[in-house]
Amino acid sequence: MRVLVVEDDPLLGDATQAGLRQAGFTVDWVTDGAAAATRLATESFSAVVLDLGLPRLSGLDLLRQMRRRGSRVPVLILTARDATTDKITGLDAGADDYMIKPFDLGELAARLRALVRRAAGLAGPTLRVGSLDLDPVAHRVCFRGQEVELSAREFALLQRLMLEAGRVQTRGQLEEHLYAWGEEVESNTIEVYVHRLRRKLAPEVIRTVRGVGYLLPKDGAE
Amino acid sequence: MPRPSLRRRVLGLSVGATLVLWTSAAWLSYQHTRREIEKILDAHLVQTAAVLAAQAGHDLDELEFEHVPALHPGADRVAFQVWDRRGRLRAHAPRDLDQPLSTGGEGFHDEMVAGRRWRVFCHQAKSRKYRVLVAERADARARAVGELGSHLLRPLVVAVPLLALVLWWTVRRGLQPLQELADEVARRAPDQLAPLDTARVPDEVRPLVERLNALLRRVADAIRDERQFTADAAHELRTPIAAIRAQAQVARNAVDDASRSHALDGVITGCDRAARLVAQLLTLERIESSTDVVPDTCDLAEAARRVMADLAPAALARGVQLELVADSARCVRASASCVEILLQNLLDNAIRYSPADTTVSVRAGTDGPSVRISVIDQGRGIPPSERANVWRRFHRLVGSVESGSGLGLSIVARIVELHSGTVRLGEGPGGRGTCVEVVLPAV
Repeated sequence: MRVLVVEDDPLLGDATQAGLRQAGFTVDWVTDGAAAATRLATESFSAVVLDLGLPRLSGLDLLRQMRRRGSRVPVLILTARDATTDKITGLDAGADDYMIKPFDLGELAARLRALVRRAAGLAGPTLRVGSLDLDPVAHRVCFRGQEVELSAREFALLQRLMLEAGRVQTRGQLEEHLYAWGEEVESNTIEVYVHRLRRKLAPEVIRTVRGVGYLLPKDGAE
Repeated sequence: MPRPSLRRRVLGLSVGATLVLWTSAAWLSYQHTRREIEKILDAHLVQTAAVLAAQAGHDLDELEFEHVPALHPGADRVAFQVWDRRGRLRAHAPRDLDQPLSTGGEGFHDEMVAGRRWRVFCHQAKSRKYRVLVAERADARARAVGELGSHLLRPLVVAVPLLALVLWWTVRRGLQPLQELADEVARRAPDQLAPLDTARVPDEVRPLVERLNALLRRVADAIRDERQFTADAAHELRTPIAAIRAQAQVARNAVDDASRSHALDGVITGCDRAARLVAQLLTLERIESSTDVVPDTCDLAEAARRVMADLAPAALARGVQLELVADSARCVRASASCVEILLQNLLDNAIRYSPADTTVSVRAGTDGPSVRISVIDQGRGIPPSERANVWRRFHRLVGSVESGSGLGLSIVARIVELHSGTVRLGEGPGGRGTCVEVVLPAV
């Protein structure tokens, strides 16, 4: 899951990025509202962690702008402002969750997982597609009742395909979700991970749509 | 001494004035009446003398004056004598008074007879056969007039306390709006700083209430600023604390040594930053609360040298050179500790935002009646659009990797204000970097 962290404080931004990476997220970090707006307009994210007191474009303005443009990306406001009116303003401006600094990284990660799950229309914490079970918290995958060992990238790729089950994901979309901005991406990386996943699970689990991308069928592959 | 009271004052003045006016009026009318009464009594004497004189011409001997004293209990207050041409007393009353009442001619005389004062009227009958003297005792007259005077003054004795009572009530009623105002102020809670309603306030008190309202506004503003500052400060502290906590958590969960030590470095940096923020907050609080400074003579170059010596290690660690150029006299009228705090903040900023292998220079020189000191760096500079904002508390420049407290320039601005100086933000030489120029009054 790729998350955009918008935080102007260098030390806190650094820690949030590192902490969320430890929790298995792909994290991009920008330090001002205008940069965040650019990134959101050009790339796709599963969720946004948004500070309110941002230079150039305030967090609330960015949020309103996003929602005006029809963006459905879940947004979690992470701020030092703890007044109830601030919370109300933030949530009414289109935020999905509100956390106050200082915060617990584990809680932040859990809330982000919940937001992403909700956005995908799921209620339970584990993803289930056909005979595949994915637990984002424990980072565990079971296929036909058997636990399967996956690397972080393989896990992230499978999670993305499961969240978007039944819809074709292009290679570019998958790359975006697996890699933060500036990370080196080999040209055939996605093919490599898909190949590894098919080997660890079953070849028919991930279908190739020639010339378009990959697809995990909604009813699963038996 | 009792506290001055408007009510007592108005009451005292009006009762006093009434007393004086009333007494004067009573005295004048007493005098007038006394004169009128004397005129009437004198006229009685003249008339009685005329009657006696007329009578004396005919049958004086037939008059029975012996019975006169019995006629009226007040008869001894009056007297008459009829003398004939040979100096014989032909008729008189009272009987025991046989010495002449007066030896004067026609007209009124005040005489002393038999140990008493008399008002005497002498009349020579036309026939010149008789001299008629009619007299009245002066003390009787005085008693009558005195009684009249006391009649005039008696109502005063009752009326003045009554009037005082009425005035007391009137003044009390009249000053009621003042009392209501006082009650309204007294009822207020300490944080109730809304202006008082001037609509119902009397004209005389309105200036006072308006001043009071202006003061209330200023107090409310000051309290609001103070609260805003406290809230801002608390929020500003939350961010470094959040950073420390998050970095510590990252360190605990780190799987490799490199990321653990990076996170632990972050923890230390975060603590330093929080400590610096607290120190800056305290400095600002101290400077904000001081309304004026002890005027002192401070050598700018000397202060700059001390501050630069303190900051040199930090500058060298970043590869930044420090330079001081000071010419002519550079003594300013300022508190030395304030000047040092000012320079420390300016230099700290300059060093913080300078790239390696650049120089931060401090220039001091006289400028007419003032002394000018500039801190110039070769960093990124501050865009003109941002220059007005940097003086605001907790304001940070966009994209600054360095994390200052956002208070340094607020502190500088406040110190300059306290010393009646000016501060200006511009570019360094050749349009590069930042130049902060402070002008302070010279000694």
